[in-house]
Amino acid sequence: MVDPVLSLNHMKKIADHLDTINRATGSTVRWLALAMVLVQFVIVLLRYVFGVSFIAANEAVLYMHSALFMLGAGYTLLVDDHVRVDIFYAKVSPHTQAKIDLFGHIVLLLPSMLALLWWTWPSVRNSWAILEGPISVGGIPASFLLKSLIPAFCILLIVQSLSCILKNLMQLREAES
Amino acid sequence: MPHLDLLMLAALIGCILLGFPVSFSIAGTAIVFAFLGWITGSFDLSLLGALGQRVFGLLTNNVLIAIPLFVMMGVVLEKSRIAEELLETMGRLFGSLRGGLGVSVVLVGALLAASTGIVGATVIAMGLIALPTMLRSGYNPAFASGIVCTAGTLGQIIPPSTLLIILSDVMSNAYQQAQFEQGKFTVETISVGQIFAGALFPGLLLVGIYIIYVLGRAYLRPDDAPPVQQSSEQPSVVEISRAILPPIILIIAVLGAILGGIATPTEAASVGAVGAILMGGTRQGMPAKIAIAAAAALLLLAIATGLAPIRLQRSDVTMLGWVQGAVYAALAFGGIAAIFAALRKLDIADLLRPAMTSTMTVTAMIFATILTASIFSLVFVGLGGQERIEAILTAMPGGPLGALIFSMLLIFILGFFLDFVEITVILLPLIVPALILMGHDPYWLAILIAINLQTSFLTPPFGFSLFYLRGAAPKEVTTGQIYAGVAPFIALQVAGILIIWLIPAIATWLPATIF
Repeated sequence: MVDPVLSLNHMKKIADHLDTINRATGSTVRWLALAMVLVQFVIVLLRYVFGVSFIAANEAVLYMHSALFMLGAGYTLLVDDHVRVDIFYAKVSPHTQAKIDLFGHIVLLLPSMLALLWWTWPSVRNSWAILEGPISVGGIPASFLLKSLIPAFCILLIVQSLSCILKNLMQLREAES
Repeated sequence: MPHLDLLMLAALIGCILLGFPVSFSIAGTAIVFAFLGWITGSFDLSLLGALGQRVFGLLTNNVLIAIPLFVMMGVVLEKSRIAEELLETMGRLFGSLRGGLGVSVVLVGALLAASTGIVGATVIAMGLIALPTMLRSGYNPAFASGIVCTAGTLGQIIPPSTLLIILSDVMSNAYQQAQFEQGKFTVETISVGQIFAGALFPGLLLVGIYIIYVLGRAYLRPDDAPPVQQSSEQPSVVEISRAILPPIILIIAVLGAILGGIATPTEAASVGAVGAILMGGTRQGMPAKIAIAAAAALLLLAIATGLAPIRLQRSDVTMLGWVQGAVYAALAFGGIAAIFAALRKLDIADLLRPAMTSTMTVTAMIFATILTASIFSLVFVGLGGQERIEAILTAMPGGPLGALIFSMLLIFILGFFLDFVEITVILLPLIVPALILMGHDPYWLAILIAINLQTSFLTPPFGFSLFYLRGAAPKEVTTGQIYAGVAPFIALQVAGILIIWLIPAIATWLPATIF
């Protein structure tokens, strides 16, 4: 067998490092789930009890909601919670599963996330250039942060996809030897 | 290259069936075919420039904010084992009745409709909790599996369901598009509340049909569903009021606030999640007095503000108004303090963080699908797929009725492979505007589609619900038994669809009356 460019140990180390990124992101971002429940509840109290409402508070919930699923997507891939239709997948060997995943990451996930990154970049860049203001009058003047979630989503998924590819390769190579 | 749009649909189904995560199969197929179309000169790549606006539209969509809140509510109820206790107590309440255990599974399935809304989660939970109990009591394995599979899918159509929220957003857009094409400029929209209202009676109708079937079969064939034998005594009134009443009150309050037009779905969902947290905290050892006091304080607040409202943002607030405000604030702070006490208990029991993680991954999964579906439809429409689908629909023999039957069959068949979310966000925007233009009522259409999809999860060999139950069911239940068990329920579903088809008022009366 030809000496591989990367040893299994190296690949495992790199994959672990890549996993750390989404693991840390996930364990931070999940608090937004609780925070948005509490902030939305306080909004309800303020509105119905005191007749007070703030557009910025409503937008804060919107920001937390968007950040929750955009930044949580990479972690969801890490723990393999993106729904699969495993009619066929569950029945095949782990070896074939690794091949299917390798195909999916290289042909489907990486190209689509790179394309999304490429074609949404102009609107994100323009938004930063003018530090785009609130969505509606009186809201949080930081639409550019909201738009930045799009490249963050792509990059977190790409990072996780690379780690998955390494793990799939390791599995295929272990099976060979 | 001709037919690239149809090839794209075929490739999508192929990739999904391979077993790669659905959302990235959708995005990947879209991008691969965008480039194929570009090479063959049938797609203009600059169309992808609209992606930024599309995704930003999803990020700022106010309707969908209710989803993570409802998911959090469901996850907390599930993780703190309130759902399990509910099922167990209900089982003991009705267990001595023939078929009683089956009835309680159907009722709990209906009550947990607010739960995560993913077919899999509900079916797995019910399969792990209810199925073993039913088998132990001597239920016919096929019959028991059929009940669990079907009850697990009720969460799709009984409000407040996360899937109905997505459906209402899609139907509203399709309805607006149809009105624009008719040349109307003052367009009507469809709200989540209206779809919830439309789904309520059809959902209850199905629950009623199931219960009649379960009781009828238990009466005619007593061996299929015997009463529970072991000496589990009837639950006391205290147990019932502890285990059954709080979840029921919570769901009715949330649903009532939305249907009554008092609160938006997002507001009601946050109250529901807070209620679930208080209940979960109590279950984990917070004194029930605190939860009851908090609930009472918040309820008192709701009544007081209804009778004597204050508007602190106005400039003419009187001294009395400020005093009143201070009293209200004290009540509110009491409630909030109890919420934090409950959260602390949940965290100590190591439930809070897993609940947040689940909420995040479920939400991320749903929204990744919606996001990638918007890429898919952009490319599909760019390849001329929309015109083709409209041409197919209008060419159907039998006019509007033929088009509707064709669409329902298409949705039904796709339901074998795809989940509710995928079909709703990919297929419906393509076919629904044409169907509405042909004169079909959008509310009625939405409910028919919802029940149709729910049924397709039950049909062998590819029904989602069956797969999940297969994973969760004990080994001694064979796959053949599961298939045989759902068969009568599929017939009941078809009967339900026919009833609503023939009597549209079941779906359209409530939204027309209260909104």
